[in-house]
Amino acid sequence: MGRTPRQHDRARGAVKRGLLLAFVWVVLTAGARDGLILGLAVVPAATWLSLHLLPYGGAVRLWRLAALLPGFLARSLVGGLDVAWRAFHPRMPLAPGWMERASRLPDGGRVALGGELSLMPGTLAAGSRGGRIILHVLDTTQDNAATITREEARLAALAAPEGRS
Amino acid sequence: MLELATDALTVALTAAGLVFFLAGTVGLIRFPDTFSRLHALTKADNLGLGFIVLGLALQAESWHAVFKLGLIWALALVAAGTAAQLVARTALRADEGGRPTRQAEGRE
Amino acid sequence: MTGWFLAAATLLLLTLAGALWRVWTGPGRADRMMAAQLVGTGGVAVVLLLAAATDWAMIDVALVLALLAAFAAVAFVKAETPEGRGDPEDDDA
Repeated sequence: MGRTPRQHDRARGAVKRGLLLAFVWVVLTAGARDGLILGLAVVPAATWLSLHLLPYGGAVRLWRLAALLPGFLARSLVGGLDVAWRAFHPRMPLAPGWMERASRLPDGGRVALGGELSLMPGTLAAGSRGGRIILHVLDTTQDNAATITREEARLAALAAPEGRS
Repeated sequence: MLELATDALTVALTAAGLVFFLAGTVGLIRFPDTFSRLHALTKADNLGLGFIVLGLALQAESWHAVFKLGLIWALALVAAGTAAQLVARTALRADEGGRPTRQAEGRE
Repeated sequence: MTGWFLAAATLLLLTLAGALWRVWTGPGRADRMMAAQLVGTGGVAVVLLLAAATDWAMIDVALVLALLAAFAAVAFVKAETPEGRGDPEDDDA
């Protein structure tokens, strides 16, 4: 009673994270009975720790994340094929270079974007300076800016409208 | 018959995994600079592990083995994505003398 | 099937030997670190293949290895940055 919507969101976030960790626990213990009993202590503790280290920051829509997954896997496959092709090619077609780019994503989002871009064809994040992501690219002749714009838009769509930065 | 097909698929998938691991190593040895090598490492070896996990999942004895395989891969994937940028950033700081020359400037 | 898994594990180990060469020669510390990472990920794959060949319980070993590989990379970054920080969002570390 008298809960503000914000608190409500946070409680939901905690429950979601707890369920996720509970699932991981069941997988780890292979559903063994004594494992489940221990889980009653472990899962809440892990949830608390997880919320402590990474506070709830706006709902990430899990199903939207799941919807992104196939495309992400496909593109990281392309990324792997691309780099494998360059590695095996006798002349090694590389044109490495750097680029910097402003990002409107919040902090955590930038790390996620960097991680994702590091798995995409030809781009590799090397941290950020003053809100600008520094990227190493394998081939300066390909359209890397388009890749970044695309990935950023995908990640931005993940954060729910009500989620603040 | 079905078992034969599954086995064949497992062999194909794990073999693909080996190829990607090989690509990662070849890139690590051949690529000219630290950052290009990091590309090879991050992208290729994760796919290698992914293919091997996929191939083995077909042979798994139980559902939780399948999920555990998935968990291992997800962990490796997230760790590689994050570790790659951390290592890249540190390496960048290390040769700060040669600040990156920005040959390609992003829009915006 | 067991034969294939063992053969694949052996091939993988040979591939990883190449990565060890990079650990040996460097030149940068980052080069060595990431080669060690490749050995880490590859090690996970080797253990998984052996698990499939012998005993599925070995999956847990692979899981722990995967965790350790992740921590190793973070520890490297922490050790490299003078202040022991390693946050990619720190603008002026």
